Amino acid sequence: MKVDTAEKDTTRGTPLIRPCTRVYLILMGLSVVTWGIGKSGLAGLELALLVLAFGLIKGWLVGDYFMGLGRLRGFWRWPILVWLLIPGGLISLAFYLSYPV
Amino acid sequence: MEKKLKLQYPPGDLAIWIFILAELLVFAVFFSAYAFTRANHVELFNEFQLTLNSDAALLNTFALLTSSYFVVRAVSAIRENKHQLCARWLWAALAMGALFLVIKSTEYAHHFGMGINLSTNKFYMFYLSLTFFHFMHVILGMVILMAVAFKARAGDYSAEEHDGVETGASYWHMVDLVWLILFPLVYVMR
Repeated sequence: MKVDTAEKDTTRGTPLIRPCTRVYLILMGLSVVTWGIGKSGLAGLELALLVLAFGLIKGWLVGDYFMGLGRLRGFWRWPILVWLLIPGGLISLAFYLSYPV
Repeated sequence: MEKKLKLQYPPGDLAIWIFILAELLVFAVFFSAYAFTRANHVELFNEFQLTLNSDAALLNTFALLTSSYFVVRAVSAIRENKHQLCARWLWAALAMGALFLVIKSTEYAHHFGMGINLSTNKFYMFYLSLTFFHFMHVILGMVILMAVAFKARAGDYSAEEHDGVETGASYWHMVDLVWLILFPLVYVMR
């Protein structure tokens, strides 16, 4: 029996640009912004957390659109998102603690 | 019924997902250990972070993201029963993986040439061990993708049966996912 795995397939879409291509371009763009912040030499808790947030957003995009978890229901919808939030939260806490109050 | 099951479970073999979650847990501990150690040695970490090549890290990010994108296209191709096209996308993904290894090896050669090793200081201990651990995962992912590419070229997968492609793809995306956190944490955040 053929399974219709094409449902919400991110490789399909308008002829102009596929959803997966759009996600790929967003990932590349966020990476350039992250690199640019690093090159600028600027530092600070807010910038560090912003850069981390970009990383977490990129991770969410990879999980949902590249790994295909965005079209799932139930338990397997969540492990990658939870994984992103746990180290994300701990890293945020560590950076928060590293800055003087 | 089968369609419903497909929407409840991730693509590929369920066993690889158990493996992926275990790997991600290890990386989560590693990342947290880096961040909390840094909190106690902020000046040291900030000083030596500047010695890293963030341009090379950006190129490596491009390489892995592009590789992951090619793998997505490979999965799409096999779902349309185009096994030769699937193999070609996988070989392109492997080329990007190889590019990552070359760039990272160049970075390591630079550091080792300067006499830097795991004992140099806490920052380099984390930098070298964390990135090398990831480096080994890239190699393992490439071995898996290569096996899948050979099978795809031989016509062993079809639109109806391509769990192997999805299994390899899931592992490769995990390797990419880890780098997306590693890159800002080690190279940029300060």
